[in-house]
Amino acid sequence: MQPRRRVPAARWLAGTAVVLAAAGCAPQSVTEQGQAVYNLYNLFLYLAAVVFLLVSGLVIWSVVRYRRRGDDLPTQTHGNNRLELIWTLIPTVIVLALFVFTIQAQNKVLDRPAKPDVNLTVTAFQWSWRFTYEGTGAEVVGRPETIPELVLPVGQRVRIKLVSADVVHSFYVPQTLFKRQAIPGTDNEFDLTFEKVGLYHGQCTQFCGLQHPDMIFRVRVVTQGEYQSWLAAATRRGQAGQPGI
Amino acid sequence: MATTELPLPALPEAHHEEPGGIVDYLTTVDHKKIGILYIFTAFSIFLAGGLLALLVRAELAQRGLQLMGENTYNQVFTMHGTLMIFLFAAQVSTGLGNYLVPLQIGAADVAFPRANAMSYWLYLFGSLIVLSSFFVAGGPAAVAWTAYAPLSTREYFQGTGMDLWIIGLAVVGVAGILGAVNLVTTIFRMRMPGMTMFRTPLFTWGVLVNQLLILFAFPPLTVVFALLFLERNFGAQFFDPTFGGSPILYQHIFWFFGHPEVYIIILPIFGIISEVIPVFSRKPLFGYRAMVFAFFGIAALSFGVWAHHMFATGLVYLPYFSIMSLLIGVPTGIKVFNWIGTMWRGSIVLSTAMLMALGFILVFVIGGITGIFLASPPIDFAVNDTYYVVAHFHYIMVGGLLYGMFAGFYFWFPKFTGRLLSERLGRWHFWTFLIGFNLTFFVQFLVGLDGMPRRIADYELDRWQPANLASTVGAFLTGVSVLIFIWNFLVSIRRGEPAGDDPWEGNSLEWATTSPPPSHNFHQLPEIHSERPVFDYRHRHDPAFATPHTDPERNPDRG
Repeated sequence: MQPRRRVPAARWLAGTAVVLAAAGCAPQSVTEQGQAVYNLYNLFLYLAAVVFLLVSGLVIWSVVRYRRRGDDLPTQTHGNNRLELIWTLIPTVIVLALFVFTIQAQNKVLDRPAKPDVNLTVTAFQWSWRFTYEGTGAEVVGRPETIPELVLPVGQRVRIKLVSADVVHSFYVPQTLFKRQAIPGTDNEFDLTFEKVGLYHGQCTQFCGLQHPDMIFRVRVVTQGEYQSWLAAATRRGQAGQPGI
Repeated sequence: MATTELPLPALPEAHHEEPGGIVDYLTTVDHKKIGILYIFTAFSIFLAGGLLALLVRAELAQRGLQLMGENTYNQVFTMHGTLMIFLFAAQVSTGLGNYLVPLQIGAADVAFPRANAMSYWLYLFGSLIVLSSFFVAGGPAAVAWTAYAPLSTREYFQGTGMDLWIIGLAVVGVAGILGAVNLVTTIFRMRMPGMTMFRTPLFTWGVLVNQLLILFAFPPLTVVFALLFLERNFGAQFFDPTFGGSPILYQHIFWFFGHPEVYIIILPIFGIISEVIPVFSRKPLFGYRAMVFAFFGIAALSFGVWAHHMFATGLVYLPYFSIMSLLIGVPTGIKVFNWIGTMWRGSIVLSTAMLMALGFILVFVIGGITGIFLASPPIDFAVNDTYYVVAHFHYIMVGGLLYGMFAGFYFWFPKFTGRLLSERLGRWHFWTFLIGFNLTFFVQFLVGLDGMPRRIADYELDRWQPANLASTVGAFLTGVSVLIFIWNFLVSIRRGEPAGDDPWEGNSLEWATTSPPPSHNFHQLPEIHSERPVFDYRHRHDPAFATPHTDPERNPDRG
């Protein structure tokens, strides 16, 4: 657990984070699930670029080519059914295709096979987080002034049960390309499988009151050996009645 | 085309011009004056909301808290959203509709002039109630404009400001419903002889569909505010899970209003663009009927997509809301292509109104395309509640709404006042707005993709700073462009070039009367043979245009 020293932490993070590429590419994902989102996003982006270039090209071409040059009225065309049918059907086909790709990616992102490797309960509260490692006694609790750290093993499927102790929050680690709201009265479950060792920034993204900006956490993804020894120490602390913060 | 000029029936000469003094405006039931009151009130609220936006941007220009504390920041962005969405965006087009719809359909006034006045005054006082929350202990609400329960319940947010917020917005909601009954009735029942629905101008169509949406969407809004008020003040437990209530219920009802609200805001703008582009391309609108059907397609779909705001809750059926949201891209695409079809082989006049309409198309397409991204749940999981979403809806709201509104202002200002806005200042306005707006919001896509959450007074990561600084610079440039517009208005209303009745060679009936129109609107009206009566009248001696092929009503398979 680190005290809140913003600048060095941020600099450290800036080093590990992939600063997004030009032209609005999504940041590379560090989870297996996020990879599907990354690919889907780029597919959308390429299509969007084509559509935008087509539309803006046609607009600019029209303005340049068909500027008023005299008093004669142009031909008063009122429409063209065939053309209109085409530009109704083509977008329909495009969005249906995007829907199919969406469903495929979604199934990967939301897939929850029977047996995860790690079971974790994340409790969001005003204004920090509690990470409870189910079945081990290990627990990490943050405060607005101290950023809690979620230590996770690389390459293992982590099932997160997300709950809220008060208002609606949202659990978000940008580099997983995933977030989920923590809603009072509801258990929300999802899986994350980190594929890269590293320190990742996480933050509440659902506005939750006065100190919403301070609801920051870190995810430290470590090798399985390191994870086991960390967990053993954390469990000892937890059993001694001193959950880590 | 045989065009006779009909004297208006049943409008006695005794209907003299009233002086335009303050007392007159306080007591008026004239739809034009009420329209002006709406526009001025909404624009004043826009300026206040814009000032709050500049405070937000000023705070975010650098990391750390410089100008205000977290609580103040939360109040500022909450009230920015509240003023802009509830009290400006949905109202300014009601104002334009109030002024223009009776003129476009050849009516002397709206169906219920007194109810019309009542809607305006309810809107004004509802807005004042919301604004009064700035002056109570604890200040205004700080729960974001969406006011999600349970954050907005008394347990988590005390203070009279929140209650004033609810009461004021409920009053504005009632005003909206009343106004919608009035405008819908007007459009259905007050059209002049010959003005069939399929000869009605597109702006009137836009207002019709917009007001129908208000009729269906504002009641749930009023209900959810009533529930919240009961929960806050009388111990009701609608949103508290420990009493069998449900926080997600609030989100459902709110967004059942909230998504149609987007189309409530944008449909009249589609109407404005569909008026401006044909006039300045000197061609009829390409695919008139398709445009009308696209209005209704968007309106119908808009009630089936609300939960795409809730993908990240994990509690909604994703495929349904995803496909419905994606499909909205189709009628929207039809509109964009029809506008391009209108310009194609036209004779384009680049007036400021037309420039604004072109700017509208470009920024609206960016807003619309990114909307397609957000309709895909996996992508939404990544960018929901980040600055990506902020950028997306500002491309729709600021980009779409403001460009369309300004296009409308430049287009109809001569009709309202008898004078033209300065085209030279208009160009300055357009270009500063184009650069400022895109600088403000395009970088927000990037910083949002990089994970910066919305609604935070301070951000942790250094690498978000350059984009935020650029965004702030852009926001202030946008502010300058609005000041240029205000300057243009102040100069032009006194010394602007006289406009005459029909400065742009318009198509619809408002151009057949004087500028500004008399209190009973028309001294005489042309016969209606198509959706462009004033065009027909202007070319009545020209055999090339005297054939009925220009009439979508008579040739239902054309246009």
